[in-house]
This record gives sequence, C-alpha cells and structure tokens, in this order.
Amino acid sequence: MLIYIGRRILMAISVVLVVLVATFLLFFAGPADPAQAMCGETRCTTQRLEDIRRSLGTDRPVAAQFSEYFKGLFVGRDIYVSGAPKKCEAPCLGFSFRTGIEVKDAIAVRFPNTAMLALMTMVIFLSVGVSTGVLAARRRGSALDRGIVGFSQVFGSIPSYITGLLFALYFTVLYPILPRYTNRGDGLPAWLGGLIAPAIILGLFYATGYVRYARASMVDTLSQDYVRTARSKGIGEQTVVYKHALRAALSPVVTILGLDMAGLLSGTLITEQIFGVDGIGRFAIESLRNDDLPIIMGTVLVGCVLVVIMNLVVDIAYSFIDPRVRLS
Amino acid sequence: MEPTTLTMGTTPDVAAAAGNQSLHDEPVSATVDVRAGRSPSQVAWERVRQDKVAVVSFAIVALFILVAIFADLLVKLEGETLNVYHPELISPLNTFPTIGITPEHWFGVEPRTGRDLFAVWAFGARPSLIIGFTAATFSTVIGIIMGLAAGYLGGTVDKVITWIIDTLLSLPFLLMVLALVPVIQKRFTAPGQVLTAEETSGIRFWVLIGILVFFGWIGLARLIRGEVLSLREREFVQAAKVIGVPTRQILFREILPNLVGPIIVSASIAVPAYISAEAALSYLGAGLVEPTPSWGRTVSNAQNSYARYPLFLWPPVVSIALLVLALSLLGESIRDAFDPNTRR
Repeated sequence: MLIYIGRRILMAISVVLVVLVATFLLFFAGPADPAQAMCGETRCTTQRLEDIRRSLGTDRPVAAQFSEYFKGLFVGRDIYVSGAPKKCEAPCLGFSFRTGIEVKDAIAVRFPNTAMLALMTMVIFLSVGVSTGVLAARRRGSALDRGIVGFSQVFGSIPSYITGLLFALYFTVLYPILPRYTNRGDGLPAWLGGLIAPAIILGLFYATGYVRYARASMVDTLSQDYVRTARSKGIGEQTVVYKHALRAALSPVVTILGLDMAGLLSGTLITEQIFGVDGIGRFAIESLRNDDLPIIMGTVLVGCVLVVIMNLVVDIAYSFIDPRVRLS
Repeated sequence: MEPTTLTMGTTPDVAAAAGNQSLHDEPVSATVDVRAGRSPSQVAWERVRQDKVAVVSFAIVALFILVAIFADLLVKLEGETLNVYHPELISPLNTFPTIGITPEHWFGVEPRTGRDLFAVWAFGARPSLIIGFTAATFSTVIGIIMGLAAGYLGGTVDKVITWIIDTLLSLPFLLMVLALVPVIQKRFTAPGQVLTAEETSGIRFWVLIGILVFFGWIGLARLIRGEVLSLREREFVQAAKVIGVPTRQILFREILPNLVGPIIVSASIAVPAYISAEAALSYLGAGLVEPTPSWGRTVSNAQNSYARYPLFLWPPVVSIALLVLALSLLGESIRDAFDPNTRR
C-alpha cells in the first residue's frame, strides 16, 4: 500500500516538473515578446525596447531565466521591478509584467471567486444529479426514466457556453431575475448572489453527466445479490436504496467528482468570461491578451498542480475503496 | 502499471462497448440482430439505421454539410458575397442596421459593418465541419498507432507513452490551448515578417487543428492500449506469432480488425467535441480570426448587441447547438449499436 502511494506521488511530482519545464520553454523561450506587447500600438524605439527587456529579465539566456524561476519557486528570490529590487517569497511566481503586482497575490485574490463558484456548482450538480439519477434508476424503464435520460442527453450535448450565454442574456440582462456578479468588496450577500446564475447553469450542465453515472451505477447495484438479500430480510425500500445500495453505487461517482472539481477549480474559463466572474480563468484570458508571461505561467502551473493533486487523491482514495487497483 | 485507468470519467462505457467486440467470438448476447453471415459491424450499422433519433440526427448533420459544400451557391442565390460591406444599411446614429430580414439579406446585416449575415453564417459552416472532421481523423490515426504501440510492444515504449498520456491529462486543457495558439502561431511567422490577414487566418486554422489533435488522441490511445493488452494474449494472436507472422501484420491484420467498434465509436464522439472546442476557442478570441468566418466568433461579436439586434446572435447559436447536439446523439446511437449489452 505504501509502495503504491509512494509510486503515485513520485509520478505526480514528475508530471508537475515536466509541465513546469515545458510551459516555461513554451512561454518564456517562445516567440512572445512582452516588451513589444507593452509598447503596444505606440511604437517604441529600439533602445526603449531593450530597456524594457532588461528590466523584465527577458534579455538573458533561457537557462538562466529558468534556474532563477525554479529557485524562486522553492526559496524565493529578488526581482527587479522598475529598477528597484523587490523581495519575492517562496513559492515565488514572479511579478506581473504589466501591473507589477506579485502573481501569487493576484491569483490568491481571485481564487476565492473561482473556488466559491466551483463549490456552489458542485452542490447543485451533486444534489440534482445524484438524486435524479437514483430516481431514474428506481423507476427504470418508466416514462419518467426515459424523460430524464433523454433530457440529460440533449442538455448535456449542447455546449455549455451556448446554454450559459443564453441563460446570462435572458436572466441577468434582459429579465434581470438573478443578480449580476459583483466583487467581494461589495459585501458577501451581493457577491454570493452574483454567483448563483453561473453556478446554476454550470451545475445543471455537469448534473447531466452525474444523472447518467448515478443511474447506471444504481441500476447495476440494485440488481446485486446483497440488495436482494436486504429486501428479502424485510428491510424497507427506502433503507435498502439509500443505505445499502447508494453507498456502493456512489464510488464511481467519487472518481469523476475529483476530476471535475480539479477542472472547476483551475478556472471555468468560458463561464467566468460569460458571467464576468473575476476568477482564475478570466484572469488567464486577460493576461494572455497582454502577453503577461508570469501570470500565464502562474495560472497554468496552479491549474496543473490542482489537477495532479486531485488525481492523486482520487487514486489513493480509490485504492482504499477497491483493493484490486493496488495490484495492477 | 495502470494507475489512472479509473480516473477518466468518459471511458468506461466506451470500454464496455469495446469489451464485447471481437470478430472471433460468437456474439455473446442473444439480441434479435444475430443472423448468419453478417459481421458485428454490419449488425451495428443495421441497428443505427433503425434508430429514429440517429436518422433524424444524421439528416440534420447532412443538412449542415450541404450548406457548407454549397455555401457559394446559396450565397449567390441570395444575391450577395462574403465580406462585402453595406454602410448604407447602417443607421449612423447607433451603428445598428436599419433592416431586419429582407429578400436581399436573409439573416439581416451585421451591426457597424453592414456585412451580410447569411453569407457569414453559410461560410461559417465550412471551418467548423472541416476542423471537426480533420481533427477527428488525425487524432484517431495517432490514437490507434500510439495505442497499438504501447499495448503490443510493451516495455519501455509502453512506459513512455503511458507517461506522456498521464502528463497531457494533467494539463488544464482549455487554458493550455488558449495559451498555445498564439505562441505556436508566432513560431510559423519569421521575425519581422508582416502577414496579411488571409495568411494569419490560414495559419491559425491549421494551428487550431494541430493543437486539438495534440490533446485529442489520448482517450483513444488509452482505450486501444487496454484492448491490445488483453488481445495479444489471445490464442489467435499467439498462433499467428508462432507460425511467424510479422509483427506489423499481426497488428494490422489480426488485432486491428477487432478494434473497429471502439475506433468508430471514439471517432464519432470526437467530431462534435472538436466542433464545440473550435467554437469555444473562437468565442474566447483564441480561435479563428478574420477573414475566416466562424460561428463562435460571431456569437462573441453578437452577444452585446443582443437586446437590440437579436438576429445577429440566433443563427450561429442555433447552428452550433443543433450541429453539436445532432452529432453527439448520432455518436451515442452508434455507441449503443456497437455495444451488444444495450437493448433499446
């Protein structure tokens, strides 16, 4: 067991390291020139471009830049921001080229927005998805079951940004039933209220998957011998379904939940963009437009680490639930 | 070692469909379709043809393909051309068009520029469908090769491919693609070279396909690898090996025909996924650029003028939703048809 966990952790670390190197090479060694981007339409002189490059550190060899970045991640480093050295504590992700704000802080400010949206979405898709899936499984073959499966198939097949966009236009703009997003500074209730609309549409979209997983898993579990045994012992139907069967039926759902949460936490780019939620995903899109390399690197790294950790947690949790996994 | 098999949400049902596909087995389940002299693939296509949802979906997809093929003709029929501006139809006060649907402009004209929206829509079907089908073809071929190599050769090759797959799966997909598109685009441009809008747009088109393929082959490769791992221990493969059939022939003559089911299923699910991804990327501004028309970009341009000129938004929104929906339902019908365990 320990060997398995150890091996998985090593794998996870190797993946993160490779992603680190690969993204660094892609972005910093890539052809993007943030100095040029900062100059924008007003053409800078060659001298001015050189100065900007030197101040950003993008004039030095890639290897030197990388070792600096790598060092910063673990022990912190000093970075020159507009001439003056600035201390950047580990894990240092650098400073934004554009605003000079530390990347770590900029991400930390936006993370709660993404995390709260992810959490609210999860509450919706788990409650709606699992309960509807179980309902469909119990009435298997009925009109209700066919209706639920058909609806989830159709709704789940339409891209979420289409349904999201129409939902946003109709319920927050044309007929403002639901409040629009505001920053946390405007008070907690307003902030939470603004997240309801994106959470509903994203939650329903994800729920369609959970309906089908929960239904399939429940149908399978309800035909197991131990469920028949429980029924024949005279245990009430509610207890059989919710106490005996549901627990077993939910273990595959847990796997998918882990991955979905990782995806949601690393930023739901399109939903955040549509509803104007100031989260990680929208931040990344914004920084891409500005060639703000430290922020792009930072958001990709944070996203990747989240996915890897979630994968790890799911795998280890699974090896406790299902001993066969360890042996393979 | 196969540590992440259980972590992918979408594969189990595809794998289930695959698990029962074998030309060398008697069909396991006693469905009514079992008749003498027909291969499981023929049986499956017969089931698709009898599925009403599949037939309707196919008709919708075929309609869009026809629009894409005959876009020139349709637009000529309307009496318009792509990318011709009509400033005379734009109100100088609020930049909105002064007309709605007219016999000259079937979907109205674009606010500000006065471009004919029917032309934008009809020509927009092309990149969507071409990207969807091209990316699906390439990612399927790469997925097959990688899966076969990993599963059959084993050892170091398997370890390397599995590790690549695990690494790619750990990347935040959409974020990576968004970040990669401009980076790779610049790689194709010599420093100091100034490209025309057409050239930039053309490069972007192929970069987009390349990136979608780069992240898209993983699912099928994992599936094929798993299948090959079990197939290569089977008697008919062992027998072929013993009588000295070359490896290439074993792979393509003995093993591959057994994987036709999962390959078709995976490809048919991939097409709508790519079309949806292209529209999403174009919506976010990292997809196709002018002058290549794109439904995703039209949606992005149209969303802010929706309250005043909804005609701008509806055609691309309905088209994306309908096309992706029809292709997905068709894919699911094909999956069910190839899975002997489902009875509808």
